[in-house]
Amino acid sequence: MFWRMVRGALVRQGRKMFLVAVTVALGVSLATAMLNVMLDVGDKVNRELKAYGANITVTPRSASVLGEIYGLDTAPGAMGQYLQEEELGKLKTIFWANNIVDFAPSLETRVALGPAGTNAVLVGTWFNRHLSLPTGETVDTGIQQLKSWWSVDGNWADDTNVNTAMVGAILADKLGVKAGDTVEFVLPGSDKRETVTVRGIFSAGGPEDEELFVPLPLVQNLLNLPGKVAKVEVSAMTTPENELARRAAHDPKSLSLKEWETWYCTSYVSAISYQIEEVISGSRAKPVRQVAESEGNILEKTQLLMLLITVLSLAGSSLGISNLLTAGIMERSREIGLLKALGATNGAVIGLTLSEIMLTGLAGGIVGYFLGLGFAQIIGETVFGTAIALNVMVIPWVIAAVGAVILAGSLPAIRMLLSLRPAAVLHGR
Amino acid sequence: MKMKKYRMLGIMIWNALLRRRSRMLIALLAVAIGATIVSGLITIYYDVPRQMGREFRSYGANLVLTPAGDKQLLPAEAVSKINGILPPDKLVGMAPYLYDRVKINEQPLMLAGTDFQQVKKVSPYWQVRGQWPESPAEEIMLGAETAELLQVEPGQEVTLAASGSELGRKMKVTGIVRTGGSEENFIFTDLKVAQQLLGTQDNISVMQVSIIANEAELTAFTQAIAGATPDIVPRIVKRVAQSEETVLGKLQALVYLVTIVVLLLTMICVATTMMAVVTERRKEIGLKKALGAENRGIVLEFLGEGMTLGALGGLLGVVLGFFFAQAVSVNVFGREISFQPFIAFLSLVVSIAVTGAACLIPVKIATDVEPAIVLRGE
Repeated sequence: MFWRMVRGALVRQGRKMFLVAVTVALGVSLATAMLNVMLDVGDKVNRELKAYGANITVTPRSASVLGEIYGLDTAPGAMGQYLQEEELGKLKTIFWANNIVDFAPSLETRVALGPAGTNAVLVGTWFNRHLSLPTGETVDTGIQQLKSWWSVDGNWADDTNVNTAMVGAILADKLGVKAGDTVEFVLPGSDKRETVTVRGIFSAGGPEDEELFVPLPLVQNLLNLPGKVAKVEVSAMTTPENELARRAAHDPKSLSLKEWETWYCTSYVSAISYQIEEVISGSRAKPVRQVAESEGNILEKTQLLMLLITVLSLAGSSLGISNLLTAGIMERSREIGLLKALGATNGAVIGLTLSEIMLTGLAGGIVGYFLGLGFAQIIGETVFGTAIALNVMVIPWVIAAVGAVILAGSLPAIRMLLSLRPAAVLHGR
Repeated sequence: MKMKKYRMLGIMIWNALLRRRSRMLIALLAVAIGATIVSGLITIYYDVPRQMGREFRSYGANLVLTPAGDKQLLPAEAVSKINGILPPDKLVGMAPYLYDRVKINEQPLMLAGTDFQQVKKVSPYWQVRGQWPESPAEEIMLGAETAELLQVEPGQEVTLAASGSELGRKMKVTGIVRTGGSEENFIFTDLKVAQQLLGTQDNISVMQVSIIANEAELTAFTQAIAGATPDIVPRIVKRVAQSEETVLGKLQALVYLVTIVVLLLTMICVATTMMAVVTERRKEIGLKKALGAENRGIVLEFLGEGMTLGALGGLLGVVLGFFFAQAVSVNVFGREISFQPFIAFLSLVVSIAVTGAACLIPVKIATDVEPAIVLRGE
């Protein structure tokens, strides 16, 4: 009998119940979309912030001191220490390997360019190198991804063809070369000559604009340093630093065992640097503060912004839902009055009303959930060009929230219904 | 006659609102909530680029002024010429730098003379162990690499000497600077001290400028500066400026889309509430028709009711929405926002339009029905 009454109400009051379902569906879709976007926004913005380039630089442990004292870093064939190129794949095997987005090694030397012997810095690096890892995976990495702010006129140089090059805009101006030309250079103090084809001219808006970039093996051969690199720039996704991370950055040994574990297993820039030093022998990894600090700052603000917008708009939409429910129940006072006159108890009346609304809400909620997923994907695709990761955690949250909202929204109306006197209602006033 | 008709309409609307107090309160609440979210979110959308732009300045200088041609130094009078070009309300900081070689313990090192107060504004990412110099005439800071090389800790004293000169100047090291960049190889002193030590008068090597501006505005500034004085070549720091453009653009697009989605849903929510409130009055419409009211008159009355509700709720929402946006801004960015009359006006119009339109649909359906059928109860 109870279910027949519920079904009867749902069918007879089709239009009104449809309105309730629509409102619940809208509220749920809003909650689903906002929560999904909010939970994923940190990751997405973090990826966008990678446009600022490397946030960790890896150098040989003793090179900086040698260079500083004896000024050897620019001399050809210097006796400084180097990092091993073949070890770079290990960067993708550390604890936070998935957070290492890009990396590129470099080896520099001074050369005399062209017929006029213009003095310039020659940089050997990876442009877009295909790398097979010891784990069996493969990655593509290099400065093409790392230096996303470079504007290139022409093409990027080719790692597999060592006689290709890219010239900085200011240097290209000085030499009068453009994409497609060839440039000849010689190592000072030796007669090793090399000719490279310029694939593209880049404008970086920094000191690189006066440098010449070529594939790494060319410089290694020139300096007779096979398999060696002087510096690696790493771009990693990190968590904003806190007090623990600052203490650890100063001296990891000052932490207690538990603190050390927390620090090591969190993607702080200092923890990732530490792990890089563990896998690359004789290396020293330093966070680039300009990028690392600002990243954390902007990330925190964005997440807080989204959180507040989410909370406030959810509060708004839940008020909207409960409002509609109140209106919906109030207008049924006549029907309820009749029920009571026929001897229905208060409990039966409440049970009947609530089950009707809950059933309608459930239907609306399911539709709304999928609608919300659609909204989240639209936002993800339009803004970041990638799908928003779906978070299963959202479902129980939404169910709990909407259930609470429906209950809260029905309460004032139900209280009013209970105090109804059947005779007065049925009489019409 | 016409006046009288409109007065009657006014009275009917007013009475309808007053007599059905509880229902109208619900509708008013719905409209007000909708308008709050609308005006609040639009304000945030307009405000985010401005506020976020300020946050992005923590990446440091986005404009560098360098000497023209082959000159090594920027003359002080050339720098003073650009003062009027950069708007002071957007300028975060301008840090002058004078670079040259000096000696500490007979070791050649790079000296950077600067203005510490400005450096704090332009490069907030510097990590300083110890303190920033308080009396710049006798206190300095060292880059981390330099400090390691010299084995100096904050609090110790070092003797600075210009290269080629035997006269030393005793300075106290107050802090060690860590940036992960080339700054770690420098010694930082006050600009005045560096100029005295090196004998360069009032000249500097470069000026780092941090200003809230997008790339187009930055380009305009560089053109204005280059036009004002031939001695300065302004350069945009592309890595900072362009990346800011990209990331800020995405953030704004994100807030934009979120705003649109929330707006859409809020409007539908308001509309459904209004529909529910009006649908319930079908009997009243039937009665009016039976008494000889024209369809047009009934539609006009309900529209007037809806729009009055929309205006009242909208007004309430605009005020609440401002506080909503203020709360977000203060909590996220720690700054207050100014009241935007245009946004207030826009939200008011939107809330009146949405409420009015939401009333029309059920009234139209109701007026199409035969009065007798409605009055009989089905």
